[in-house]
Amino acid sequence: MRPWDEMYDASGHVRPGRKRLATALDTLGPDELLARARLRDAHLSAQGITFTLSGRERPLPMDLVPRIVDPNEWQVIEAGVAQRIRALEMFLADVYGAGEILRDQVIPRRLITSSAHFHRQAHGIRPANGVRIHVAGVDLVRDHEGTFRVLEDNLRNPSGVSYVLENRRTLSHVVPEVFTGHRLRSVEEYPARLLSALLAAAPLGVADPTVVVLTPGVHNSAHFEHAFLARRMGVELVEGRDLFCRDGVVRMRTIRGSEPVHVIYRRIDDDYLDPVLFRPDSVLGVPGVVNAARAGAVTIANGVGNGVADDKAVYPYVPTIVRYYLGEEPLLPNVETYNLSDPDQRAYVLPRLDQMVVKPVDGSGGYGIVMGSQASDSELATAAETIQADPRGWIAQPIVALSTSPTVVEGGRLAPRHLDLRPFAVNDGEKIWVMPGGLTRVALVEGSLVVNSSQGGGSKDTWVLGSDGDELPPLAPELVVDVEGPTFSAAQIRSANEARARVDQPTFHSERVRQQEMQQQQSGVGPC
Amino acid sequence: MLSRIAEAMFWIGRYVERAEATTRMLIEHHQLLVEDTRLDPAVGVEAMLQALSLMPADPEPGALTPAALIQIVVGESADPKTVLGSVAAARENARTIREALPIGMFERMNATHLRMQAGISTTIPGIPLSGLLDELSVVVGIIDWQMPRDEGLVFLRLGAALERLDMTSRLLAIDHEGLWPQVGAVTALRAAGGFNPFLRTQRALTGEQVHAFLLLDPTFPRSTLQTAIRAERAVRQMGTYVSAQQTSTLLRTVGILRAELEFASVNPTPADLELLSARASEAAFVASDAVAGAFFRQAGTIVWSH
Repeated sequence: MRPWDEMYDASGHVRPGRKRLATALDTLGPDELLARARLRDAHLSAQGITFTLSGRERPLPMDLVPRIVDPNEWQVIEAGVAQRIRALEMFLADVYGAGEILRDQVIPRRLITSSAHFHRQAHGIRPANGVRIHVAGVDLVRDHEGTFRVLEDNLRNPSGVSYVLENRRTLSHVVPEVFTGHRLRSVEEYPARLLSALLAAAPLGVADPTVVVLTPGVHNSAHFEHAFLARRMGVELVEGRDLFCRDGVVRMRTIRGSEPVHVIYRRIDDDYLDPVLFRPDSVLGVPGVVNAARAGAVTIANGVGNGVADDKAVYPYVPTIVRYYLGEEPLLPNVETYNLSDPDQRAYVLPRLDQMVVKPVDGSGGYGIVMGSQASDSELATAAETIQADPRGWIAQPIVALSTSPTVVEGGRLAPRHLDLRPFAVNDGEKIWVMPGGLTRVALVEGSLVVNSSQGGGSKDTWVLGSDGDELPPLAPELVVDVEGPTFSAAQIRSANEARARVDQPTFHSERVRQQEMQQQQSGVGPC
Repeated sequence: MLSRIAEAMFWIGRYVERAEATTRMLIEHHQLLVEDTRLDPAVGVEAMLQALSLMPADPEPGALTPAALIQIVVGESADPKTVLGSVAAARENARTIREALPIGMFERMNATHLRMQAGISTTIPGIPLSGLLDELSVVVGIIDWQMPRDEGLVFLRLGAALERLDMTSRLLAIDHEGLWPQVGAVTALRAAGGFNPFLRTQRALTGEQVHAFLLLDPTFPRSTLQTAIRAERAVRQMGTYVSAQQTSTLLRTVGILRAELEFASVNPTPADLELLSARASEAAFVASDAVAGAFFRQAGTIVWSH
């Protein structure tokens, strides 16, 4: 089964829409690509665009070859992601409310109540605008037929969006040549969209809500992203110790005393969020914040307990969830998944572990994954024992041959490497907006199918090409300087520009002075 | 202080500021032209060149590419409107008063000037141009750390403030939102180093808000209001070294500008903003003339002819 390649078709021809890119890469050649790669590394390190792995800051390796998504492919992804989030929002509202889907026995109640991320503490919290999934990152892979499939949903703290924005800037700094002739959709809007979604989620009746980003602190692997988002939204980045609850209201400590906080975009896991209700030893959280949210004084984004909807054991039910709530067929299919708490499915999977990927249901970051085809016999035996000890804790999927894209490897050569795609969606309660682009993660090791940055993965800038209807025609030069207001016409502005006087220093050394000065110097060095 | 030294100080202030502001504008607009190709690049290049008074008279069709923008604006040492030219002019002024400057200042400017002679790649200009900004900030750091707080510094600061008034008004002359509806306003802010300060104070990222911010924000160091305040302060300090008569035109010019900006309408219309920007540019011009008239050598060197 040959994996789908994003650049070349099965017969080795460049796919439509990729010719300019292929030519640009050819023109650069291996030596130049290597030189640019060095430039990129220096740039990323100096800019501190890093993630922290085992306590060390490292630049997230960004490949110089962008990944192109066609407009028609994007339409499917955009609609499919939005559909999924819409259904999962209804699912969360249901399981933390009336529980109809459980009563109708569409999903086994045990599956929900046994989820590590199903938090009874979240029961009865009603978000002001009904949104629990303010931000989602939905991981997609592309199978050998070129179909995008959902691999997992990230509805708690999906990270990586800062790299999407930074990758675009870095790439245009380092290899501007590859942009020529492409019309890309911009990703710059993301922070503004996120801020407006967070403002829309504020408790009712707050005229000018205060939004903050809550970070675990500078040692967290995604701290760069937390700082990035706070800065780009123009809001405070706070740590747990900057906040406190009094009389059911969350406040932050400032030099002018304390000020109320209305929306907390928290990048802290549920377990650490509130020592009153979750881990009592948490020093990162804010005691009482969940009760303040329940009382409607503050909005926590993303919602508490969202993890039940991205639990990997719930994942096989998502197509059912879409049909149940929306009465629609899912636009993006799942990857076939075996639920190992089902004895029949378990019996099918265990002898075939070498053809499967086994994943912990509540894991992230690629930790704990066993890739059957690459595991030794003893590793497989250990995996089988682990599954039998805790079948609810694991799922299995047949290995999907992730699609590949040319990637710069040793010596500046281009070679295919496997990749996935994480589009980011923002829900403001009225519309689910999917950022045109997303984080493409690439497994830099030859043949590897694990793309997580914690496991040696890199990233690629992801280009969603504008469709024809989306493009603006070039403006006629006459229209260029079109100002509002009646006072100035375009032509006047332009002539004002032309006439704008540049003040420069009068040439203070006339030619004669210069020559005489030079002669003085010359005679000065001669013998007297 | 010798007039000649005051004059050189004034122009060092202007040209260092010009080099910095032009470079920052160039980096951001070049990046914009690379990333956002919805607009014909030639139109964007022309808008930028017009604003910098660097538009060639009769460009060949197809000549106005992003690479050409880099080439024209980086320019050459002989043309002080360009990046290379303003670096060279600052360095040349520093050379003539080397003895009056803090140790290391001319040397720093000289090293930058020499390095720039090697040119800037027109294909990947972003990183070397950012390097130039770093080097210029070292020059400003030396001024801040080491220069005596005397009349020389006052002339330098006035020069820098007048140049900044002019450069901000040039930036505002580009219709960012009309040309690049998606990211134009952000680019205008970035080109002034004002993106993050803006986000901390405002929410609506519209062209109008951006213009109001760049003109009237009371804390942003590159806003026209802040700059006018600094120009006025420099002139008042100058008044402690010279007679009141010498600074009268100058003080009136920058003082009126500062007052117009400080007491501008809280909800300015686009036409108000346009007018204020034009006033700032004009005031910078008049003030520069007034400084030269009051303090610098009047007519260059008198040359006796036969």
